[in-house]
Amino acid sequence: MHSADAAAGTARQPSKRRVPVSQPGMGDPHQLFDDTSSAQSRGYGAQRAAGGLGYPAAAASPQATFLDDPMSNVAMAYGSSLAAHGKELVDKNINRFIPVTKLKYYFAVDTMYVGRKLGLLFFPYLHQDWEVQYQQDTPVAPRFDINAPDLYIPAMAFITYVLVAGLALGTQDRFSPDILGLQASSALAWLTLEVVAILLSLYLVTVNTDLTTIDLVAFLGYKYVGMIGGVLMGLLFGKIGYYLVLGWCCVSIFVFMIRTLRLKILAEAAAEGVPVRGARNQLRMYLTMAVAAAQPLLMYWLTFHLVR
Amino acid sequence: MTFTLYSLLQASLLCLNATALLHEERYLKNIGWGTDQGIGGFGEKPGIKSQLMNLIRSVRTVVRMPLIIVKSIAIVLLLLFG
Repeated sequence: MHSADAAAGTARQPSKRRVPVSQPGMGDPHQLFDDTSSAQSRGYGAQRAAGGLGYPAAAASPQATFLDDPMSNVAMAYGSSLAAHGKELVDKNINRFIPVTKLKYYFAVDTMYVGRKLGLLFFPYLHQDWEVQYQQDTPVAPRFDINAPDLYIPAMAFITYVLVAGLALGTQDRFSPDILGLQASSALAWLTLEVVAILLSLYLVTVNTDLTTIDLVAFLGYKYVGMIGGVLMGLLFGKIGYYLVLGWCCVSIFVFMIRTLRLKILAEAAAEGVPVRGARNQLRMYLTMAVAAAQPLLMYWLTFHLVR
Repeated sequence: MTFTLYSLLQASLLCLNATALLHEERYLKNIGWGTDQGIGGFGEKPGIKSQLMNLIRSVRTVVRMPLIIVKSIAIVLLLLFG
């Protein structure tokens, strides 16, 4: 997908907004997280010194008796060297199985981003500019651009959904601990099925898109937020509250998905609002609508049995 | 009754098996889905049908060997544990 991007890069450049490099507050453009190590170590050092002064006598005696035996010295040294070796092995090979560096991008969020993104998920109607900003060909970290997808909100929302489902079932005396695992497994299975179905349709329609799998998981995970809202309202106000809030969240997620996916799946011209004729573009439009329409259906399917 | 990850695994195994079973000569050629029947021009983008045919052929090639192993394991486990 990136080679196709490079080939089409010159034609697509005017539409990608380049953030000027000298932007205040962004620091090193490739640094995802703020460096707080020096401040932290100073703070902790002071704390530890103050704590240490209070407990010298208590710490000295049990430590002295434990380390007197030379065998335990050797055992401790051997054990710690084994642990260090194992840790080194894992660190070297972890990147082969889980793309850790790519995942870190999706978790580079801060409180303001989360707040604004949640607001956008519940009310996407006034937001004008949906394009992700780029900086030197890499997308900007989520904390600097509200349109960028992140994995923090979907992950937290998924866990909250499982807990809220347990709560809802508990109020109806239908709770047992394995139900939590069943709900989590069910939601994950639907998510996997959605991702596979969408990837398959994107392959069949031969769309040249820079929508990665993790991006797709992030976008599909945003519906859990609406589901949590619906179930909580259903717990507080009964079926009427559940249907009202779920209906509102369904429409919002529908609009959100259409506006976000339009930029990723449709051709450049169509994304800017100019209707482009042609069977290929029509097919892409249908695909976007189908993906967006599947969200409210799944939101209802995964929550209706929780609210009585 | 609920749709769990395990049932998704079972369903995907069955679907992959079904796709890998579609025999090129005996079946696909007869319904016009053989891989030497649908190649379009070089310049234009491949249509859905040719993408599908390519997909079936690739699945058949890639999945055949591991599928035998996975199916044997599944048979043994299902015989033992029901």
